[in-house]
Amino acid sequence: MTGLGWGIRSLGRHPLRTGLSLAGIAVAAAMLLDMVMLSGGIDKSFGDLLLQRGYQIRITPKGTLPFDTEASLPGARRLVRTLRADPEVATAGAILGSAVYARTPDSLVTLFGYGVQPESQGIYRVMAGADLAPADTTGLLLSAAAAAVLGGARVGDTVMLAGRLDPQIAAAAEDRSLVVRGMVEWLYDYRGQPSVGAVLPVMQRLARQATGDPASLVLVRARADSMVEPLVARLRADYPTLEVNSVVELVAQAKRRLSYFTQLAHVLGAMSLVVTVLLIGTLLTITVNERLGEIATLRAIGIGKATVVSQVLAEGVALTVIGSALGVLLGLATARYLDAILTSFPGLPAAFSFFVPRADTLTQAAVVLLVTGSLAGLYPAWLAARAPIAATLRAEAT
Amino acid sequence: MARRARTHSRHLAGGGHLSAPSHPGAVLVARDLRKDYPVGGETVHALRGVSLSVGRGEHVAIVGPSGSGKSTLLQLLGGIDTPSAGSVEVLGTRLERLSDRDLTRLRLLRLGFVFQRFHLLPVLTARENVELPMAEAGVKSAERRARALELLEYVGLSGRAGHRATQLSGGEMQRVAIARALANQPAVLLADEPTGELDAATGQEILELFRRLNRDGATLVVVTHDERLAREAGRTVTMFDGRIADR
Repeated sequence: MTGLGWGIRSLGRHPLRTGLSLAGIAVAAAMLLDMVMLSGGIDKSFGDLLLQRGYQIRITPKGTLPFDTEASLPGARRLVRTLRADPEVATAGAILGSAVYARTPDSLVTLFGYGVQPESQGIYRVMAGADLAPADTTGLLLSAAAAAVLGGARVGDTVMLAGRLDPQIAAAAEDRSLVVRGMVEWLYDYRGQPSVGAVLPVMQRLARQATGDPASLVLVRARADSMVEPLVARLRADYPTLEVNSVVELVAQAKRRLSYFTQLAHVLGAMSLVVTVLLIGTLLTITVNERLGEIATLRAIGIGKATVVSQVLAEGVALTVIGSALGVLLGLATARYLDAILTSFPGLPAAFSFFVPRADTLTQAAVVLLVTGSLAGLYPAWLAARAPIAATLRAEAT
Repeated sequence: MARRARTHSRHLAGGGHLSAPSHPGAVLVARDLRKDYPVGGETVHALRGVSLSVGRGEHVAIVGPSGSGKSTLLQLLGGIDTPSAGSVEVLGTRLERLSDRDLTRLRLLRLGFVFQRFHLLPVLTARENVELPMAEAGVKSAERRARALELLEYVGLSGRAGHRATQLSGGEMQRVAIARALANQPAVLLADEPTGELDAATGQEILELFRRLNRDGATLVVVTHDERLAREAGRTVTMFDGRIADR
């Protein structure tokens, strides 16, 4: 019989009490797990999202974030050509974002339109049908949400898109009839966002921004990650009127802005650890006090202090291990639920996640929990070790 | 039967590893033992100078009224408590000279204890309870399992080895406790009111077990109120007011 096995059996003496304590430990462990996932999850998720297609650099109009405002950078295609000629650049592509409208039999439907360079795009994944060809001026890409608002549009259907409306006469500046080539997932769309995509010149015309060759941002992929930093520095020097950022810098900025999330996570995580210690410590102290007679007997028959201490500690470890295992399940379920709520906030990409399980942080949390559980057993173990044998046996006999 | 008795005699005749006692043939020697307790600012003299020698294979009963110091004497003889004055020798080893660790080890290997309330671990089976002191002594798993089963057979519980302590009757629990006390082949078995919690019939079973133990070579020191148990002893020590009244 190992100490741990003995510990688990001892916990079974009072199933209700042990069950309630395990529930408490599981809740505390779930909270710790969620807080650990939250503290490192936001920046991890943000970084993963931005790097999904391998573009490590973003170029935007000065002082803006992509699609945050209607500001655009001029001369997009010339800029892209220059960038693609750079020996440190693997590829680059411009994107324009703008509101567009689709004509349905009885109304106009508002959509978000992306103008893309399909040969170098980093913002969508083709789910069905085909991608656009670079010079395909009659093709269209739809998200599932856009297809739904267009009455279940499918690949091969024709969609009538209207460009920017003139507010005075409520008439579209330009109508284009486009054929759906593919169904795509737009990587940065919020949940349920109806988005469509066309090649950049088409979207520029629909957005009435044909002059000046505008784009909302340019994505750049360096040939190697090690080239990113010097390339960003050089591009900043070459294009002082533009905002040039590496994904690493953008993640760092986001992390700074969301630092309160991390702080909150640390505080709540620490509180959950304290709760775990108190729960285990209290339960084991009660258990040891109830079993002082048994412990005194063990000591009397020659069982060493080390064995008694290790048995009490083993109970703490058993409680921690079982409670933590339950906590992992509870924590993952809670994280999923909370994530669904948080990512439904408008403006947040659906693919973004607040709670990201990472092997390293989860391992750290598990180690911290185990150490904490063991430490929580120290006081009751000390009580058990110093139990006066003769006095306890005398008290037991009366 | 004779073979069984021989086998168990081997288990009961342990404790030969320490130096020779100063009283030839004695496994347990107490000299002028005194024990005082502070109680509410007063000092209670539980033992007032008790000397006793127990020879190998002897069966000694310690009797006397409640509060006469019987259990205190047994605890001092077993190294569970320390005397205020005087000394105890177990197989020639002076207990007061031992560290807590060595004293615990001596209790484990040289002394066997049986208590009124059995004090088995309820989460363990009968066999596991018997194995416990052997595990502490470092006996290998297979050996201690075999020895535990043998001891359970000796106390008449071979069919209850896999039952948890909570599934046993009072008499069965006490017999398991006796098997546990014999696990490391102690030099002396110390029992404190071993029939105190049992009815007359069950107490009789324990009494017969003690008789058989002594016949098989075990040295017994039994504190008891039970006259039948006292009558079984080869020598009766009567305690009164912290002293030995007669021998």
